Amino acid sequence: MQSTRNKLIELLAENRDEYISGQELSDRLHISRSAIWKHMKQLEKDGYQIEGVSNKGYRILKFPAKISENTIRWGLQTKWLGKSIIHKESITSTQEIAHHVAKEGAQHGTVIIADEQTNSRGRMQRQWHSAASKGIWMSILLRPAMLPQNAPQLTLLSGTVLASVIARKFDVTPYIKWPNDIIINGKKVAGILTEMQAEQDQIQYVIIGMGINVNQDREDFPDEITTKATSLKIATGCEQELVDLIQDILLQFEKMYDNYLQAGFPYVKTIWESFGFKIGKPIVVRTMNKEWKTDFLGIAKDGALLVANDQDKPEKLYAGEIDWFKEEE
Amino acid sequence: MLKVEDIYELIKLIDQSSIDEFTYENEGTKVTMKKSDGLAVATPAVQAPAVQPAPQVQVETAAKTEASTQTNEPVENKNYDHEIVSPMVGTFYSASNPESPNFVNVGSQVSEDTVVCIVEAMKLFNEIEAEISGEIVEVLVENGELVEYGQPLFRVKTK
Repeated sequence: MQSTRNKLIELLAENRDEYISGQELSDRLHISRSAIWKHMKQLEKDGYQIEGVSNKGYRILKFPAKISENTIRWGLQTKWLGKSIIHKESITSTQEIAHHVAKEGAQHGTVIIADEQTNSRGRMQRQWHSAASKGIWMSILLRPAMLPQNAPQLTLLSGTVLASVIARKFDVTPYIKWPNDIIINGKKVAGILTEMQAEQDQIQYVIIGMGINVNQDREDFPDEITTKATSLKIATGCEQELVDLIQDILLQFEKMYDNYLQAGFPYVKTIWESFGFKIGKPIVVRTMNKEWKTDFLGIAKDGALLVANDQDKPEKLYAGEIDWFKEEE
Repeated sequence: MLKVEDIYELIKLIDQSSIDEFTYENEGTKVTMKKSDGLAVATPAVQAPAVQPAPQVQVETAAKTEASTQTNEPVENKNYDHEIVSPMVGTFYSASNPESPNFVNVGSQVSEDTVVCIVEAMKLFNEIEAEISGEIVEVLVENGELVEYGQPLFRVKTK
């Protein structure tokens, strides 16, 4: 079903301004003309506007702005990422669905996307505010053939993907706050959370969850986060297309991931550091039993945060709370 | 990366072969085996290469492999026969959030796919599964503690 519908969209899209007859569609898809008609109805439900003229055939008048499996797939130029897309209008969290399908054997590159999440999570189960159709709530399932200890590099890679796409598409300057929050004008516009199932020396799967605030207005955010959160609409001053942005992110992700597998982390590191928030500036680091002010020196060869320790030597940090804004308070 | 089992396997194979000396090098781990006077004696020497400084993680890998080779000697009076170790550097979490109960405690029965803890590094959350059936007899790290690659986290009694 799914692939027939995709072929149908492709055929209609190729012809764009010209009509394509029901008979031709039926011949090329090897399905009956009444089956074609049923697919057309389904596409209209997805938000496509299709014109059917007798003796001429069908043509697409308008592609939907609405997110659906079809709208994301149409025009998506990736080779392997998003070949399988699961879209839901409202779910608890895309991460949860992703874990579920991963355990059932879903393929590498599967993308799970929702209009709304009712129970999305950030770090340590902190709630992430994901309102209906205002942002991109998406999880990418990967089955990378790499050692589990290198997997955290994928979280930095994901951050660089989002920052590069935002920088290229919009007239704003994004920064990446280590390891991978995206910051515009000092406020968070996107967050990434990655979860992994792995054995000692082999990764079962990795799920990269992205939350991107796109079309929220200031009043859409709960009071307690208005000072910390922003959206692309707030930053750019205009409403943005979700489907288009999703496709750009997936394409950039695939490119960067493939390059990373070939060229290794140095490739990602260079791009990451070009977006690095507060590199060379003082930050406050808090680990379980100490807190100290130090300079953020950049990232290490493996992606760890590099700070100066009390002997002024560089020290690698893999986790811990960092107060990035202490100086400004 | 070579596992201890792999090294044992290599020793066995080389033992049975006519090879006198064998060196294997990959990603900063080097294993050299040499038969003494053609007799069936082989010594695994796991070491970081001296010429090129390897990335830290890999040096640690080599060191850990060596350590676990040694601790494989039978220890008397131990009440456990398996250790669940951390697959990466990161922060150890015994529960999925501060309000939730621990995944496991001393006395918990675990099976292969029981999640025993989470190790986080750079916002990647790794749910560690027991990968073995048995009873948790010791929890070796505290919630929030930084753990190293290969560091034992739990002791398990499988019988």
